[in-house]
Amino acid sequence: MIKWLIPVITASAVLAGCASVPNGSIPVVDAGAPASANRMDRVGGGAAPANAPQAQPQDSGVVVMVPGAVGGNQPLTTSPITTGPITTGPITNDSAGSNIYSQPSAPQAPTGNSATPSGAAGGLSADEQLDGPVLALLTTAQQQQGGGDLDGAASSLERAQRIAPREPQVLYRLAEVRLAQGDAAQAEQFARRGLSYAGGRPQLQASLWDLVAQAREKQGDPAGAAQARERAKVAL
Amino acid sequence: MTRPKSSRSRSKRRSRGTRPWLGWAVKLGLVGLVVFAGFAVYLDAVVQEKFSGKRWTVPAKVYARPLELFVGEKLAKTDFLKELDALGYRREKSVDGPGGVSVAGNNIELYSRGFQFYEGAEPAQHVRVRFSGDYVAGLSKANGGKLAVARLEPMLIGGLYPAHQEDRVLIKLDQVPPYLVETLVAVEDREFFNHFGVSPKSIARAIWVNASSGQLRQGGSTLTQQLVKNFYLTNERSLTRKVIEAMMAVLLELHYDKKDILEAYLNEVFLGQDGNRAVHGFGLASQYFFSQPLSELHLEQVALLVGMVKGPTYYNPRRHPERAKTRRDMILDLLAAQGVVTPEQAAAAKARPLGVTTRGNMSNGSFPAFLDLVKRQLRQDYRDEDLTEEGLRIFTSFDPIMQVKAEDSLSETLKRLSGRKGVDKVEAGMVVTNPETGEVQALLGGRQRNFAGFNRAIDAVRPIGSLVKPAVYLTALERPSQYTLTSFIKDQAFSVKGQDGQVWRPQNYDRKSHGTIYLYQGLVNSYNLSTSKLGLELGVPNVLKTLARLGVEREWPAYPSMLLGAGSLSPMEVAGMYQTIANGGFNTPLRAIRSVLTAEGEPLKRYPFQIQQRFDAGSIYLLQSAMQRVMREGTGRSVYSRLPRSLNLAGKTGTSNDSRDSWFAGFSQDVLAVVWLGRDDNGPTPLTGATGALQVWTSFMAKADPLPLDMPQPDNVVQAWIDAKTGQGSDSSCPNAVQMPYIRGSEPAPGPGCGIQAPVDSVMDWVRGWMN
Repeated sequence: MIKWLIPVITASAVLAGCASVPNGSIPVVDAGAPASANRMDRVGGGAAPANAPQAQPQDSGVVVMVPGAVGGNQPLTTSPITTGPITTGPITNDSAGSNIYSQPSAPQAPTGNSATPSGAAGGLSADEQLDGPVLALLTTAQQQQGGGDLDGAASSLERAQRIAPREPQVLYRLAEVRLAQGDAAQAEQFARRGLSYAGGRPQLQASLWDLVAQAREKQGDPAGAAQARERAKVAL
Repeated sequence: MTRPKSSRSRSKRRSRGTRPWLGWAVKLGLVGLVVFAGFAVYLDAVVQEKFSGKRWTVPAKVYARPLELFVGEKLAKTDFLKELDALGYRREKSVDGPGGVSVAGNNIELYSRGFQFYEGAEPAQHVRVRFSGDYVAGLSKANGGKLAVARLEPMLIGGLYPAHQEDRVLIKLDQVPPYLVETLVAVEDREFFNHFGVSPKSIARAIWVNASSGQLRQGGSTLTQQLVKNFYLTNERSLTRKVIEAMMAVLLELHYDKKDILEAYLNEVFLGQDGNRAVHGFGLASQYFFSQPLSELHLEQVALLVGMVKGPTYYNPRRHPERAKTRRDMILDLLAAQGVVTPEQAAAAKARPLGVTTRGNMSNGSFPAFLDLVKRQLRQDYRDEDLTEEGLRIFTSFDPIMQVKAEDSLSETLKRLSGRKGVDKVEAGMVVTNPETGEVQALLGGRQRNFAGFNRAIDAVRPIGSLVKPAVYLTALERPSQYTLTSFIKDQAFSVKGQDGQVWRPQNYDRKSHGTIYLYQGLVNSYNLSTSKLGLELGVPNVLKTLARLGVEREWPAYPSMLLGAGSLSPMEVAGMYQTIANGGFNTPLRAIRSVLTAEGEPLKRYPFQIQQRFDAGSIYLLQSAMQRVMREGTGRSVYSRLPRSLNLAGKTGTSNDSRDSWFAGFSQDVLAVVWLGRDDNGPTPLTGATGALQVWTSFMAKADPLPLDMPQPDNVVQAWIDAKTGQGSDSSCPNAVQMPYIRGSEPAPGPGCGIQAPVDSVMDWVRGWMN
């Protein structure tokens, strides 16, 4: 039995959380691997209900993992913190109120696509291709962002989010644009929301963690950023 | 004002003057001329000042969400057609331009109108939509081209009017439909393109016609004079005014060309009264009577509107359809007689019905409660003048389809319950949001449709009763080392002495105690004893902290009674609180406005989507699981007598003391709705949360047909088999084994398998449970 490990790991998780978390925010539990294989076919395809009459172009975020393959054909990619069973510490420390919902400040000069991590919407890897409406709107947003119209890009991305609210790539792009607009706090939140829907998509998880790291850096939290970067490595 | 008249008449008399008076007459005439010239200069300034500046103030226009179209979208064909009807789409055999639609079974072809949105311009386009079941199965351009996503123009749901409530939709001359100018000129001022402001010929003809018919059938006013009258002068009828009117008409023609004058006329002319709102201009009249943009009007519609210029009230086609049709047909005959149209065209147009929309359909500002919400949010950011004068375009999240479904649900349910004594006095408030976006989709301020009064959805602040309980259980579930869904808790009578010395002795609704129960059962059955006991263990201040994190911004005293919902909230606030639960622990300030454009279509302001994670996804997952059991086996279970069992829903009933407030708050994956029923005078009602508000909610969900709740299982959650009777770890192969979610590490140790009676289909679950 490795029960003695539990308190040790919990304590380290709590300490790590306390040490690194910016005021008022919560470390997200790693979405390293799906809990069971048969859930996977539901992850990601936000816009396409299972009983939609016409077969959607395959969202290969789904195809990567063969649905129905039982057990883990996917190695568990968990960090020490996620194996810590109980994540009470950092969470109960949180209280509502501090620096919430700061309006995005005046758009800074776009940091440019050089700052975007690999796997950004510009060059989605083959297993992250999207279908019709979401792809179209992401493309529009990309053009708007390229032309310096960050508000327009954010608006198009929100339109995509309404169509596919559970598509982590949309949330990823939304986080990216918020970051470019100078709203690092919201960027981090959207990246985290994306993580909660990115089960089974390690590449995307890595990109999202990378974005969390950038957002934390901008918020003056290098320790939290480093922690997020660790997650990004683990996810891959 | 009388001076110019007398001086002018005197100057006319000059020629008839006899020689001794000549000197005087010349002198007087000169004085008169100077006065006249001075007055003319003054009038000229008046004419130019108003005409060259901003001619009209335009109230802000509020739009519903535009309906998006894409393959895989959940959208019932009937709902789609209702939206098209409300947008004034014409059913045609073959679509021949913007605003046309043709329906052939599940295939719908339409020509959208195009619209300027915050994100950019949506083109007018000819598209094909194919439906299958309640889904969009195909979308393409009519020429077969690919189309990933398209959106219709948004429905106009109201405006923000200033005190005098003059409303218009400004149009440009190049936006008018064929025949409008020709018809207007033929009917109102045949010499318009030839005269200089006043038309002696027209006056002469008017006198002739009136004299020969013995009736006042024609006025000699030109369009320019009519414009001057509406634009600059009061409605007084006197010769003085007539003269000033004529002078100003001439001056106007001196400075501006016929096109400018015609365009101003088309926008200024009064064409009807809509309650307090004055309908000015052909642009708004077209929307008001036909729900269509002016540019799409056909000959008979043009003739009807032009006919109304003469007497908007007398020829009101909604109130006096016969009269209006006679007038319209007379005008069509006139057009044929003057050669503007062929007799065949006129005959065909006369054969068409009036085509006026009925009032009270989805558009035309019938949604006062939602508009009220929009106004309140706008007033935080804009001055009143900006809202009533600048013609701003406000884009909201309002979903007219959802709104009508909510209204129908409420009225049907109250009708069904009307047998119970006292239900007639029951009022209502209801909020519908999308939990995944935090947007408000529909709002009911009372049981009466279209009633613009006390907005109960926002302003009825009432004790929330058991709606507070999820906060108590969430506080517990955030401590997985102490509490799981299957922890045992006691449901038995107790009393505590409060800080004020009062003894608090909670009771269950059924006045019984239920002994030792699982933690989740306290929530599922809404037991007061076990919940308040649990809340006291956790500490009332900690439960209040949880409420604050859920989004409740009120400061409540930390009394034990708060654990059973003594605190008061509005339906909107409840929606905000439950939204955090529905959206995986991410809080979002509820939004009704998406963006604002200027009158010219330039982006002005955006109200961005904002989220903040307030809770660990795992504890929310457990809470949602318990709230789903509320619907399956608890106080909400009546929903599944009307809804399919495949539809996962989560929610909570709430009832305050003596059933003064009947609440229900619950959600699916994509729809969250909060219903409150109660009396304005706070008297008792015959309804509990389950027998009242839940019934409205159920009826609404049946119509809304939402997606089943399906929160992705977070990493720190495991499913474990337990024995339903003992709560001990069990195995899927065992009798009485049920699956329960736990925060990883807090689940009971798995029990031994129960041999080969394991059902085949659960072997995989067994394998998975074993691997965990």
